[in-house]
Amino acid sequence: MSMIRVENLSKAFGSLQVLKNVNLTVEKGERIVIIGGSGCGKSVFLRCMDLLEIPDEGSVFIGENELTSRKADLNRIRRKVGMVYQGFHLFSHMNVLDNITLAPIKLLGLSRAEAEKKAETLLSMVGLESKKYSMPEVLSGGQKQRIAIVRCLAMEPEVMLFDEPTSALDPTMVGEVLATLRLLAKQGMTMVIVTHEMDFAREIATRILYLDEQGIYEEGTPKEIFDAPKKKKTRDFIHKMKYFSWQIESRDFDLMQMQGNIRSFAQRYGLDEKKANRLQLCTEELIYEMLNYGRPGEVVDMQVQISFDERDKCTVVGLRCKGGPYNPFEMAADDEVHLGVTILKHTAKRLDYRFDGENNYLEIEL
Amino acid sequence: MNIQKTVNGSTLVVELEGRLDTTTSPKLEEELRNSINGITSLVIDFEKLEYISSAGLRVLLAMQKIMNKQGEMLLKNVSETVMEVLEVTGFIDILTIE
Repeated sequence: MSMIRVENLSKAFGSLQVLKNVNLTVEKGERIVIIGGSGCGKSVFLRCMDLLEIPDEGSVFIGENELTSRKADLNRIRRKVGMVYQGFHLFSHMNVLDNITLAPIKLLGLSRAEAEKKAETLLSMVGLESKKYSMPEVLSGGQKQRIAIVRCLAMEPEVMLFDEPTSALDPTMVGEVLATLRLLAKQGMTMVIVTHEMDFAREIATRILYLDEQGIYEEGTPKEIFDAPKKKKTRDFIHKMKYFSWQIESRDFDLMQMQGNIRSFAQRYGLDEKKANRLQLCTEELIYEMLNYGRPGEVVDMQVQISFDERDKCTVVGLRCKGGPYNPFEMAADDEVHLGVTILKHTAKRLDYRFDGENNYLEIEL
Repeated sequence: MNIQKTVNGSTLVVELEGRLDTTTSPKLEEELRNSINGITSLVIDFEKLEYISSAGLRVLLAMQKIMNKQGEMLLKNVSETVMEVLEVTGFIDILTIE
């Protein structure tokens, strides 16, 4: 039986459609990590699973119970789900122990002694037993988040949802919270985690969901998503792709302006002087090889696209050139006329050419 | 690109500053062709040259061919960046670099 089932879920904020017809089944023991760019709907999706956001359409089931049903006993169903937020949300006027025992006493009917015993066991698990009488204000961000996790666990949830649990933390405290999540994973807890910690996602997830275009754009194992994403936007996100493009519509285009912009692009993403220079050089050679020896026709229609992979530090220069077929890479490397090709062949790690009947596509990797 | 020319007898020293690319190469070629008559020693100083592309190399090649007939041509103060381009194109074997 699935722990969570989401069917045809849609959610919009005014005219902004965030999620559309999204489906997901979370099985017992799965650890699902949701990744995606800012504003792609990761947190909204997660919050819909606990009905903290009300979907416009679709259904959410926790186990066999439909959370989105009008007749649903929300409080009872929600007890199966623990939610950990970015901002901890501890009760600031209560000490750690009271924060943890409040819900078990009120909702599960545990005696204070039972609830405290359980709380102490859980606090010991996350290494914070000594803080049980501390007030939240004296705790560090990492400690607060570990307490927030313990508070959820005290309710014995069947599944836990984490909404960017480390985003509000100082980098030095991220590790202790991730260690707690690892511990839960080891214990077999079913988890759905929204995070920007990609290394952690790769390590802990049984399945990764990449959200884009109002839904689950691509999903797979960490290996599939991080090492061999199939779709373009997933690749762009995983490799932190940065793009530069330049349209050329005349033989007399402003080379200096384009080169200035390429330099700014290179500087913005930390390419050193040598790489920036090679990037400019190869771009110029590609363009003029096609303008001088290709068959661009009377109306020049060329587009330069430079992509920089921030993860692997790899730069690719692409050129689309409308016109008859011409593959400059077939020219001899020591040809005095095609000096640009010689430079390209000696500078690039990879050169690719294709023609689609209308456009020449040249691509070189630096 | 700035081009500074100094003539001393039959020696012409040309100092280049900036970028020698498709846009600026025609200017250099014109300047050199206009000044090269009677010159037996052409020295091109690359100290302030930041960038060179194949368009610049073509000018150097054309000048080398002319100077082969009337004297000699020398490149000096070549930066690492420019040298890399001269190396990959085999120009270091054709040109005299100090």
